[in-house]
Amino acid sequence: MRPTIEWVVLPAAMVSAPCATHAVQYLSVAAAQQAMFPGATLTPADRRLTDAEHKAIETASGVRGRGRQRDLKLWRVEGGGWFIVDEVIGKHEFITYALGLNADGSVKHIEVMDYRENYGAQVRDEKWRNQFRGKSHGANLKLNDDIRNISGATLSCRHLTDGVKRLLATYEIVLKH
Amino acid sequence: MKSCSNTEVRRCRPLLGTFVEITATGLDEGQIGRAIEAGFDAIERVQRLMSAHDPSSELSQVNEEAFLRPVKVSHETFEVLKRGISLARESAGAFDFTIAPLLARWGLLPAHLRRSGNGDWRNVQMLAHRRVRFTKPLAIDLGGIAKGFAVDEAIERLRRCGVSSALVNAGGDLRAFGPKSFIIRLRHPIQQRLLTRTLRLRDAALATSSPCFTESRLRRCPISHLINPLDGSAVTGGISVTVRAPECWLADALTKVVLTQPILATQLLAKHTSEALVFTV
Repeated sequence: MRPTIEWVVLPAAMVSAPCATHAVQYLSVAAAQQAMFPGATLTPADRRLTDAEHKAIETASGVRGRGRQRDLKLWRVEGGGWFIVDEVIGKHEFITYALGLNADGSVKHIEVMDYRENYGAQVRDEKWRNQFRGKSHGANLKLNDDIRNISGATLSCRHLTDGVKRLLATYEIVLKH
Repeated sequence: MKSCSNTEVRRCRPLLGTFVEITATGLDEGQIGRAIEAGFDAIERVQRLMSAHDPSSELSQVNEEAFLRPVKVSHETFEVLKRGISLARESAGAFDFTIAPLLARWGLLPAHLRRSGNGDWRNVQMLAHRRVRFTKPLAIDLGGIAKGFAVDEAIERLRRCGVSSALVNAGGDLRAFGPKSFIIRLRHPIQQRLLTRTLRLRDAALATSSPCFTESRLRRCPISHLINPLDGSAVTGGISVTVRAPECWLADALTKVVLTQPILATQLLAKHTSEALVFTV
């Protein structure tokens, strides 16, 4: 019988094999619009924030906006509401997401559209065995093939939460009136 | 009857302080979309009920008032508290959700959760009609169990909606449902960009806990969000624990027992048909 705990010593500094990208597209713009505002007509209303607006948004939200975030990818929803596509770059991830706002500016919906992360491969975990009892062998999988489901210490979604704060301030300052 | 559609739908939302991803197959696309929506709703509900950060959550009301009078709670919160207490008993306190005051003192939870005194899980009473009472001043943080529970709730909704296979991954705490075997990769505990192992998961849950995720905190100061409840010390260092269990709340909670009491954990894991993979760096 195998023990219920297996101990593995990992090298603190592993040599990183060529990087693989974990990229998932969850929703296209059209699909995200349809998911948030089913059946509604959305009219593109892209605009570039002025210096003054950009600054006011940073002050109001307490979140710094990067240069490219001055170009708002924006749609006006028939009958009230907004649909905004934004992206955030955090420590480990590159994320495109959509924010749906109700007519009163409250959050209706947040959907992650694209998620990208770069990984190196493990190369020196010598005791590579497929550990968990009764599971078939997985070691021959190529890293590039399919990095879809990852477990590990929790990744924070703070960058996205900050992005939403910035967009809510954008609504107050630019879109509300 | 279920249709045999192979359409797979994946959605991701920021919830529970992390990215929650739901993957499902086995219905037509519209039905899967609605099933996934129901799954996210279940997670949002757990977040609303059990967040210690949110002053309007049910848990906050319990923390605020349960020492003064019994507080009636939802089925879900009652269930999580019951399971937490039972695991605290089985682990002789190595799992203890009353560590909130310590986390608050370290600035990892809001300051109003600080308490003086030595109350622990034994001072949480579960009464008739889903009421909870504290017999000493204390505060509960469900961070070590509620995320896993939320994953279980989502899986249950998806199952009831008729999907044939599903995976719910809440930032690394995940559960697979159905005949499909999912490939899971484990992250290196320190070098987050490196993946260390590959495993397959079918109809089971997986959770990982590691104090070394926050690198700056690890280097500069010996505190972490993981605490040994038996002596109030922080679990720090290059260690990461992954537990496979039948349900995600259990996997989530057992990682904490393995981190602090590995010898005791061996028996507990066996009892719950679970197993652990411990990485040390």
